[in-house]
Amino acid sequence: MSIFRLAYNNIRGSAFRSMVIFMCVLGVASFLLGTTLVISGAQNSLNVGIQRLGADILVVPEGAQTQVETALLMGKPTNVWMPDSKVAEIAAIPGVEAVSPQIYLQSLYGAACCSVSEMFLVVYDPATDFTIKPWLEKELGRPLNTGEVIGGSYIFVPTGQTSIKLYGYNTDLVGNLEATGTGIDQTLFMSTATAEAMAKSSLTTAVQPLLIPSGQISEVMVKIVPGADRHKVALDILSGVLGVVPLESPNMFGQFRHQMTGLLWGFVAIMVVFWILSAVLIGLVFSMAANERRREIAVLRALGATRFYVFRSILAEAVILAFSGAVIGVTLATFVIYLFRTYITSSLGMPFLFPGWGSFIGMVAAGTAFILLTVVLAALWPAYRVSRMEPAIAARE
Amino acid sequence: MIKLQEVTKEFNLDQQVITPVKEVSLEIGKGDFVMVIGRSGTGKSTVLNLIAGLIKPTAGTVFVEGRDLQTLSDRDMSKLRSSDMGYVFQFPSLLPSLTIIDNIAVPASFAINKSKDGGRKRAKELLGMLGLGDRLDCYPRHLSAGEQKRAVIARSLMNEPKILLADEPTSDLDEQTEREIMGLLKQINDSGVTIVMVTHSLGLVPFCTRAYSMDKGKLNLTHANNKSGAK
Repeated sequence: MSIFRLAYNNIRGSAFRSMVIFMCVLGVASFLLGTTLVISGAQNSLNVGIQRLGADILVVPEGAQTQVETALLMGKPTNVWMPDSKVAEIAAIPGVEAVSPQIYLQSLYGAACCSVSEMFLVVYDPATDFTIKPWLEKELGRPLNTGEVIGGSYIFVPTGQTSIKLYGYNTDLVGNLEATGTGIDQTLFMSTATAEAMAKSSLTTAVQPLLIPSGQISEVMVKIVPGADRHKVALDILSGVLGVVPLESPNMFGQFRHQMTGLLWGFVAIMVVFWILSAVLIGLVFSMAANERRREIAVLRALGATRFYVFRSILAEAVILAFSGAVIGVTLATFVIYLFRTYITSSLGMPFLFPGWGSFIGMVAAGTAFILLTVVLAALWPAYRVSRMEPAIAARE
Repeated sequence: MIKLQEVTKEFNLDQQVITPVKEVSLEIGKGDFVMVIGRSGTGKSTVLNLIAGLIKPTAGTVFVEGRDLQTLSDRDMSKLRSSDMGYVFQFPSLLPSLTIIDNIAVPASFAINKSKDGGRKRAKELLGMLGLGDRLDCYPRHLSAGEQKRAVIARSLMNEPKILLADEPTSDLDEQTEREIMGLLKQINDSGVTIVMVTHSLGLVPFCTRAYSMDKGKLNLTHANNKSGAK
């Protein structure tokens, strides 16, 4: 009989004890993977989102940083304005290679003239744009015509309709950007010509006209000269252009990152406490089990089992319970996170993009290895102690 | 085959030293059926455990098959137990999580020459021989006390041992089952297996070739037969 078969039979024979260990392992594994997935999903989402923005620096009106970051991060529409004269001022800063203004709009809430409610709309200038253009060239091979829009990965034409109606104006969705897990996924992008046509049409077709303040923009996307110091350029913009704040793309969503770090440490603290308690509990349960089974172990020794065999048979039980608990725990966590990702991320107020297969498998493997190690370490001392007992003494006790 | 030379065993219990075995010397030859008789707590089981190498003597030497047990490593001692000894415990010693056939096959896992089927064929044969052929897939809790004893004896024979050590194999059994078990042990002895048995029942003495009484840690020869007695 193999050690694993003996261990498996022992597990079956002590259902309650095995269930306690199994549940502990399952809890630690699912919590560990769940929190890692949420945190790394948020990190992944931020990185992909920033990459999607495609600018080195984002210049926004002074005091509007949080609003803009929230809009980009969570897709919550916002209206922020600054004079379009800032575009030329920013373009004149040394180290700036290209600038392109964008305007933030939103669809109406619960209005019949809009087929989607409160959607974040971003208007770009095709003449200067360098963020949407590469995608259009690659995917469509042409610029957007008036009346055409592209959307984030969550944007779709409502069922039964052929276009997305905004302010009573029909727009054709000609493509979707790759998922980022941020608010970009819930954002609709259109050219200035489309926005102007929509504003004009809204005067007669919408319950409320679309008003785009003349000579106003919401933000400026900045591309810096290759090799230029991004931070220095940002400082120059801050000091040289009044009433604006530059947001360096790698440092964007700073407040959110700060919150996320806090959350991460909170998770880590809970995890460590949970892990220690579980390891102690598992160790205690194995100690109790080893004590309970002294006679069985004495019998095995009398039948010819070596100390090492006894030691390995207890560790084999630990490995089976740890492995099955970890596999079921990580599977459960993956399903829960995947199915409820929208609810979880909106509850926690963080973006989420499921990590790539490579990093996901890495996380699962590392998590399983960590759990295995924990359980084996917890079982190590009881296994060693009982394997060293004199069989005859063990049998009598 | 088995030789105890001036063997003493002491235990420390609650800061008190007790000596269940005091300077015991004993020689057991091949094919002997030796009984150690005495009341509870006189050290009978300790003698058996010393022979099985399940405890180490405080003083003196135990030889089995010419090998000094104290000089053997845990691995070699386990090998010796697995290949040359069968052990019948006083308490119910079948592993509760295994079926009867799996229980009987356990010693095959420790055998030097492992069979391909994990000893199941031999286990089946042994159980058939001992009248448990129809209980292969039962769990120990489904067997009567007498059936459990027979199963334990079957397990002790799994690796065809030269020596069978039996600790009160008939305790807690009714008279008829006791006679069945003793008949079985006699058959095993007749097939050439040396048996050392511990019992408190004087009525079993006729089955053995030699009987020793144990008192205050000392062994005294009380009965010697060239041929075993009653069936």
